[in-house]
Amino acid sequence: MFYELLSRIDRLVGIRGASAHCDIPCGIYDPHQAQVAALTVIRMLDLMADLTNAQKTPTLEYHNSISRQIAVKEEHAELVKREVRVIWGDYLKQEHLDKYPELPGLVHKIMQLGSKCRQGVSRESAMDLLAAVNRFAEIFWETKGIATKRVKAPYKPGEEIVYPVL
Amino acid sequence: MLYLLKVAGSSLEPDFEEGDFVLVSKIPFFFRPMRPGDVIVFNHVLYHTMIKYVEHVEPESGEIFVAGTHPGSVDSRSFGPIRPSAVLGKVIWHICKKRV
Repeated sequence: MFYELLSRIDRLVGIRGASAHCDIPCGIYDPHQAQVAALTVIRMLDLMADLTNAQKTPTLEYHNSISRQIAVKEEHAELVKREVRVIWGDYLKQEHLDKYPELPGLVHKIMQLGSKCRQGVSRESAMDLLAAVNRFAEIFWETKGIATKRVKAPYKPGEEIVYPVL
Repeated sequence: MLYLLKVAGSSLEPDFEEGDFVLVSKIPFFFRPMRPGDVIVFNHVLYHTMIKYVEHVEPESGEIFVAGTHPGSVDSRSFGPIRPSAVLGKVIWHICKKRV
């Protein structure tokens, strides 16, 4: 409620900004980290499933391993969101949004899927997250005039990933 | 003594995001000295009004080292400590936009 009220005041009179200045600007943007993080989420879910299926009676060792895997899943799902947010906020410009009208919806979808992967253990959601991030990567490289290719990642979980053709 | 400001930039993500509002005041410092972890707003000669976390306060000079949470944050690692006189105040109310 307060936020909406302040937003209206801001639109009317313009509230002064406080800069959380970040960009040097370095100009270094790459969706690869988001893609690897999405793959990591899938890998953690696979490891968790394997471990749970193999363990009839939970032991202390089991709890330790599963806790670590959950923590890594959490961290990397959040990393996907952060990496995409940085490209969205710092690199993509209006001209890109005009050329790729699917971008706002795609970024929103990534944010939601990232949260879903943190909340749950659905491999399907993690695959959807990877697919959305791969599409985001394709668009990112297209904005730079660089072609891309889809290949199976050369490591587990071996899912498809978009690479720039350099 | 009281400022309403809008956050711009991403160096304090995920705690503070672009578009969030903050209410800032010096009053809290009358009751308790500034300490690491406080979020302050200050004036910088090059970057103007900035918002950052307090990382460290020099006991003798009172100089303040500030930092962001983002690896690319422009803060005391690049521009050095700031003077206490540059501080506008501490964030006493953070009004977040709806998080996704």
